Amino acid sequence: MKHLSEEEIVLHYYGDADDEMKVRQHLAECSACRAEFDRLHSLLGRVAPVEVPEPGSFFEEKMWLNIRDRLPEKAVPAKPLWAAGKWALAGVMAMLLVGAFLAGRFWPGRSPQVVQVNTPAADPQRVVLVAVGDHLERSQMLLVEIMNASDKSVLDEGTQLQARDLLNTNRLYRVSAQQAGDPRIAHLLDQLGRVLAEVANAPSQVSDNDLRDIRARIQSDGLLFKVRVVGSEVNSRVRRLEQNSPAAAEQRL
Amino acid sequence: MQVTDAAVVAQVLAGDRDAFRVLVERHSRSLYHLVYRMTGSSADTEEIVQDTLLRAFKGLEKFELRSNFGTWIYRIATNRTLDFLKSKKMSDTQAYRIAEDPDPDDSREIQLAATAPGPDRMVISEQMKSRMAQALSLLTPAERVAFTMRHMEGRSIGEISKTLNLKTSAAKNSVFRAVHKLRQQLEPFASPAK
Repeated sequence: MKHLSEEEIVLHYYGDADDEMKVRQHLAECSACRAEFDRLHSLLGRVAPVEVPEPGSFFEEKMWLNIRDRLPEKAVPAKPLWAAGKWALAGVMAMLLVGAFLAGRFWPGRSPQVVQVNTPAADPQRVVLVAVGDHLERSQMLLVEIMNASDKSVLDEGTQLQARDLLNTNRLYRVSAQQAGDPRIAHLLDQLGRVLAEVANAPSQVSDNDLRDIRARIQSDGLLFKVRVVGSEVNSRVRRLEQNSPAAAEQRL
Repeated sequence: MQVTDAAVVAQVLAGDRDAFRVLVERHSRSLYHLVYRMTGSSADTEEIVQDTLLRAFKGLEKFELRSNFGTWIYRIATNRTLDFLKSKKMSDTQAYRIAEDPDPDDSREIQLAATAPGPDRMVISEQMKSRMAQALSLLTPAERVAFTMRHMEGRSIGEISKTLNLKTSAAKNSVFRAVHKLRQQLEPFASPAK
């Protein structure tokens, strides 16, 4: 009697043999091959799937934030201002922002009319919203990092500097939102500011308890969720403004 | 009612880049599980998942709306992992090791399943552990991926051959060669189950 090959036995274990019927019949008749199959079955039956550690409740958020800026533009007819680079944009926006806030009349809640300008880049209302959206997004990334970190080392000097930087701009936006009569954003920025201050002012040698406290604060008010929702709304408003801009209308023509 | 993946893809293709977030939220975690089983490293896995998502976005126009987006992106992830494993020679020490209680953070540990409770549990000697690590490190990237897909993910030979762009016979052969190598290394040290 010709015995089954090792390959036939292995493939039969997974139900992948070319002629399953033939293999089954042979195993029923041949004790040597059956013993061989049993040995294989015993060994492979013990190699369980690798246990995968869950990557944390904000994993999806983290993935999105990490890839979002790297996604190529699609279906965008004209190259927008912010394609020039995130940091260059931040600088330009900061300058425009100060001017816009000093004027105190460009917040969207106050001037629902479309500003009559020729290019999207010159629309201060949009610039302000883009700046706020960018601020919320950067804050969101920081909060996600803190929530996802495996240990307290996340609260290192770099993170604290980042939090300090965000805290400074946060103050400016919060005051502006209050003055512009946008209490929802002002309230959110107030909550965000308290967490940023905690991160920025954490001791140089943070303890596990410090990290736990900061995480608890982030979670207690659903801060991350609110930042995400308001950020998304702000981005939608930016898109609407872009679509209604004279430049976009010209392009449609 | 939940919007289908295909509808979201259509939305992204129509210019709504942010709609891609929905797909990221729906599929990132299962991709993580898949890739981790092949790499055993959280950091490498996150990198591959990100790369997979980016590639999926860039190649979205090639996706056929009638197909299953989950299957499509699963294939991208598997191939990205295969490329990664090919490019990175995993040393024996970086590769898998057997653990009774796997470290949840960035481990490359594989666990032998208990087929029976209590004293019937297979006794894993130190020698056996090192043999398993050695056996897995002996697999080629293609064998490792094929073995993971077949043995750990329960994917069919048809799926493996389609994902890795292999003939059915080559996919079967990859699985067989992986098992053959594992047996050679482990069988002399594994006591039979009771």
